Amino acid sequence: MSTETTTTSTEISAPSRFLNEITATSVIVKLYSGEEYHGILESIDGYMNVTMEDTKEYVHGKLIKTYNDVFIRGNNVLYISNV
Amino acid sequence: MSTEQSSLSQILPLELIDKCIGSRIWVLLSGDKEFVGTLIGFDDFVNMVLEDVTEYDVDGSETQRKKILLSGNHITMLVPGGEGPKSVAVN
Repeated sequence: MSTETTTTSTEISAPSRFLNEITATSVIVKLYSGEEYHGILESIDGYMNVTMEDTKEYVHGKLIKTYNDVFIRGNNVLYISNV
Repeated sequence: MSTEQSSLSQILPLELIDKCIGSRIWVLLSGDKEFVGTLIGFDDFVNMVLEDVTEYDVDGSETQRKKILLSGNHITMLVPGGEGPKSVAVN
């Protein structure tokens, strides 16, 4: 059949809505490799590419480095959490 | 050509997950990482938004998160109900 029903019940998907909610707020981005980046979410796209400001890099809960601006390539992102 | 009337009323895989929206769900990823949370929604890639999340790591540690967008990339299995890894006896 040609018509495919969308799997979500709302027009704008929950992931997109969540991303709109959290842009320009404090977030935690966790990578598959275990690093966490805590900072202000500047922007994000459909690949989960992320840019952040005032970013702190944590490994096993320990602060390793700080950055002013970072770009994280989306393929590395495990999750994005609000704070 | 299509004989949908006679076919079983099949539930598509993602329909099952759609039914879980609003309830607890247990998400298993490749690489022994697991998440339990309330499913807020998901998209066609099975990226998921979860609330009141517990993250279970390979080393047994647990992390609490309020609300996350979990990438669908490494999701292997979804278990409705969401009792989490502790509900299963490991032998």
